[in-house]
Amino acid sequence: MSYGFSAINTSGQVIISDEMENLHFYGKATLSGNDGGDYEDFPGYSGANDTLDGRIIFTYSIVLEPPTGGGGIFVPASPLVFIKPTDYTRWHALLTQSVAADGKTWTFDVITSGLSQSNPPELFCFVNANSTSGATSDHGLIVWKADGYTRTFDSRYRPLAVTAGGSIAPATCPSDDGCPGVSTGHPWNYATLDHDFRSSSQYNSQATNGATYTNLMFSAPSLAQAVYKRQVEGYKYSSSSWGGGQSHWSTAIWWVMYRNTFRIRNGYFDAGWTDYAAGYSFSSNHEGGGWFGGGGGGYSSGTMPYSAKVINQGSNAFMIADSTGFD
Amino acid sequence: MSHGLEIFDEHGHLVFSTLDITWMQIDQFDVAANASASHDYPEVAGMTIITQLQMVNAPPASQEAYAPEVIVSGTTVSVAPYTSKTSERVIIMVLAQD
Repeated sequence: MSYGFSAINTSGQVIISDEMENLHFYGKATLSGNDGGDYEDFPGYSGANDTLDGRIIFTYSIVLEPPTGGGGIFVPASPLVFIKPTDYTRWHALLTQSVAADGKTWTFDVITSGLSQSNPPELFCFVNANSTSGATSDHGLIVWKADGYTRTFDSRYRPLAVTAGGSIAPATCPSDDGCPGVSTGHPWNYATLDHDFRSSSQYNSQATNGATYTNLMFSAPSLAQAVYKRQVEGYKYSSSSWGGGQSHWSTAIWWVMYRNTFRIRNGYFDAGWTDYAAGYSFSSNHEGGGWFGGGGGGYSSGTMPYSAKVINQGSNAFMIADSTGFD
Repeated sequence: MSHGLEIFDEHGHLVFSTLDITWMQIDQFDVAANASASHDYPEVAGMTIITQLQMVNAPPASQEAYAPEVIVSGTTVSVAPYTSKTSERVIIMVLAQD
């Protein structure tokens, strides 16, 4: 460029420019509630491998007020959200982000592993400079675009500095016990789950650097989703002393839907999975004839949203930052 | 440090300096379900561009919630449903680093 402003860091990277916008801290989103938590086990089933990791969904909101005075044109912006865990042993991810009809009230749903309503994460919201408002300080550095009214940098609002970034995808199969499937040849009415659907050991990792990890926060929306089921089919044939006989069939299905979640631990950023929903169904029937007429029965808790698979498996961009000073 | 730029807030706290690293926000846009979009950012030629996709809505209860495909080619970011797939509504954040 032949005029304007740019600042270059010690790595030779442009960090302030009159052509590109820095992200600045707007504020923390307010926790407004949670869904009570669920899926610490299979609903309606009691037996082997019943335990799941469980999850709770916290809801937050923040209002991005347009700036008043000082010139410029306000353009409503989507905040870039960083999650700072309060409990770093839990997995978290931003599930949804939406704005109300007023164009400024944002709502976020965050999934957290486990059922505890304690220690919800904090959400730090960042916007471009021109969406910031409310500062009263009359000193610092403001950089404007060539249009003369769009701020690209405003030191009155703490600018975002990152400690790491890149792309990351979760492990291919969410279940600790591998990807389950369908098996036949079991005894009639067999309904014992032989698969561990928990997911806490299935993740990919990237190294983080430097900072004390309990100060770190991350920006990484949840994209990958998965549904897996374990299905066992039972059968028997019963003969009568008068000849002839009856076939008996049974089917037991356990399914879990997972969402991609993330964890910061000492030296690493992990992309893994947390169960989002789960269900169990059982059906048993027998054909007519023999001693008994035909008939059957069953039980079902919930429906698989789609056939077993992983979707949106590709990498999504993430950033890590030190939360110190952003209050 | 003996050279570079340091910026302080009104309380005298260092808030930014040439020791810092950051990603600059180039753009953000909303892509409706099953829609496509393409944007070019010549001002960041030579920089690394990354994108973040954020789902707007909770996944439906009875079908897949596919994300659209995002392709970064040079300074162009293109978004479209995968072939023969639907796609959910998403917010795309476009970030660049020198």
